[in-house]
Amino acid sequence: MSTNPFPLAKDDLIKAYRTMRTIREFEERVHVEFAKGDIPGFVHLYAGEEACATGIIVHLSDIDRIASTHRGHGHCIAKGVDIGAMMAEIYGRATGSCRGKGGSMHIADLSKGMMGANGILGAGAPLICGAALAAKRRGDGGVGVTFFGDGASNQGTVLESMNLAAIWNLPAIFVVENNGYAESTSIDYAVAIDSYVDRAAGFGLPGVTVDGTDFFAVYEAAGEMIRRAREGGGPALLECRMIRFFGHFEGDAQTYKAKGENEHNRATRDCLKLFAARVSEAGVLSHAEMESIDREVLGLIEEAVATAKAAPLPAAADLLTDVYVNY
Amino acid sequence: MRPTVGIIANPVSARDIRRVVANAASLQIADRANIVLRVLAALAACGVADVLVMPESGGIRGHVVRGLERSHNQGEHRFPRVVFLDMPVTGTVEDTRCAARLMRAAGVAAMIVLGGDGTHRAVVAECGPIPLAPISTGTNNAFPESREPTITGLATGLVVMGRVPRDVALAANKRLDVVVDGAKPDIALVDVAFVTDRYLGARALWRTETFRELFVSFADPQVIGMSAIAGLIEPVGRNEPGGLMVRLAPAQSAKLTVFAPIAPGLIDAVGIDEWRRIQTGIAFVPRLKAGSIALDGEREIFISERQQVSVTLIDEAFYTIDVTRVMRFAATAGLFQTTERPNTAALT
Repeated sequence: MSTNPFPLAKDDLIKAYRTMRTIREFEERVHVEFAKGDIPGFVHLYAGEEACATGIIVHLSDIDRIASTHRGHGHCIAKGVDIGAMMAEIYGRATGSCRGKGGSMHIADLSKGMMGANGILGAGAPLICGAALAAKRRGDGGVGVTFFGDGASNQGTVLESMNLAAIWNLPAIFVVENNGYAESTSIDYAVAIDSYVDRAAGFGLPGVTVDGTDFFAVYEAAGEMIRRAREGGGPALLECRMIRFFGHFEGDAQTYKAKGENEHNRATRDCLKLFAARVSEAGVLSHAEMESIDREVLGLIEEAVATAKAAPLPAAADLLTDVYVNY
Repeated sequence: MRPTVGIIANPVSARDIRRVVANAASLQIADRANIVLRVLAALAACGVADVLVMPESGGIRGHVVRGLERSHNQGEHRFPRVVFLDMPVTGTVEDTRCAARLMRAAGVAAMIVLGGDGTHRAVVAECGPIPLAPISTGTNNAFPESREPTITGLATGLVVMGRVPRDVALAANKRLDVVVDGAKPDIALVDVAFVTDRYLGARALWRTETFRELFVSFADPQVIGMSAIAGLIEPVGRNEPGGLMVRLAPAQSAKLTVFAPIAPGLIDAVGIDEWRRIQTGIAFVPRLKAGSIALDGEREIFISERQQVSVTLIDEAFYTIDVTRVMRFAATAGLFQTTERPNTAALT
């Protein structure tokens, strides 16, 4: 039996793999179900980007808060939001995590520290400054992590939040999920300061760029940033360079991508395949163990879809409830 | 035929975790582009008319093109003709390798490289006999020395224009070859470290308890990183024959502890069990059987117990322009002196 050379115990590696696999299968299934026309609104899928959410959020507990994006399913799952409630929310059912009124882009669960997916680009950054300020005032060692894309990085909210986090030395982590496209616009065109690390440096924050398809690269960099933030070391920025397997939204024809780009990425830069290869080569997790997890996850997704479809829609009488919530 | 010079500027060096675990610098893209412009001006001042530049998508190109256009709009003639190589841009180290291959095929007289040890390693793998002029823009930078890039540009310009004899201008450098299971060697310019991590992760080395073995082509107590560990035990010069092998251990259990600058601003205890000089051309087999191999300070290869690994120091592996000697020669020979009016004083 070989010793474990990784920075995570075997149980934690299993948890990380299960989380990434759950995100992948959740998104692949939503992709199929959305095409059937049963899901209202828009969905933006996180498939291909699992190592980023998982590699960061595995360092967090329920006292830590995250603010997500329009592409938020992966962050929700990694933060521990119930996938049955998520699927019901996406189907607009009364049993959903927001009682069917939020849909894909507004899934939230404050009990898990998940402040919400968010249809407004860059809106998570100021929210997380508030969460980080609260944690700092409480002195409980909590941190706030906000995710945003390469497109949203240009929003004033993000830039103002980095400034605020720097001057108040907040335990806030800014994560740029750089998949290369702001909807369909390449970062080459849309971002004047070409390096997000440069942008962080402009506010006095340390910035790090990692291969976002490598779970261990994300895990290691995020772990150092989060530890530093918990200890009073202040905010930091992490740029994860990654791949999205699907379009910006479901139904996106993806004409802005090169021919064969998605297939090439799935073959060569699939973060789940890379993780599986690494842990199996090291003799820590076997293919059989991972296949067992795969089967278990597929069963959970199947159950979530069936339960969601069978759940009731919100009643007309509920239309004006939950507009404001005390918390 | 007038010589062409190649410039390879890496937009992604100095972006790793050492900005968090230490306080390493983040040289901004605009600053890197300004370095390219300063180098171009220096080359033009020496009479270099044509320069090939690696394209990239990190932003350097845009800044450089705007700088050239602004100068042209003002009626200046400070820069040579600049052509960006026609090659795919992947945003990975393959861009650097590809650019070096294309520049070599194009017959450039020298390659000016902006980056850290990793960038220079990628160029050395492809440049063959073409001399490099290193400019430090990375994190640890044991290989490229810190110097104002204008001076590097001037020295390169003088050399490629034939104003300085090659025996004065060029320095031979050592290299470390790492062979895994008989495959094509991976190379390191300064250090090969064996560490216990069996994943590449954030790549940089800073957890000293994982260090086990170290091979260096030179051991310099004035640099940052793995070479400094060896340098603080027994300095070995860049131009000295041979290198150094150091067996490392967790500081708590080692025979000796050295406090070494592992990264900028990070001075940590490193456990040392033994060290000895190594000669060129001899294949050394490391003791560590499973873990990662770090080349020039970054984990690049993971190895298992089943694999055969060796490290060999190679002498006269590649050439660099010795800026100090070139500039001293230029001063002594009066290459920068002229009786003409200053505004016409190109060094041709």
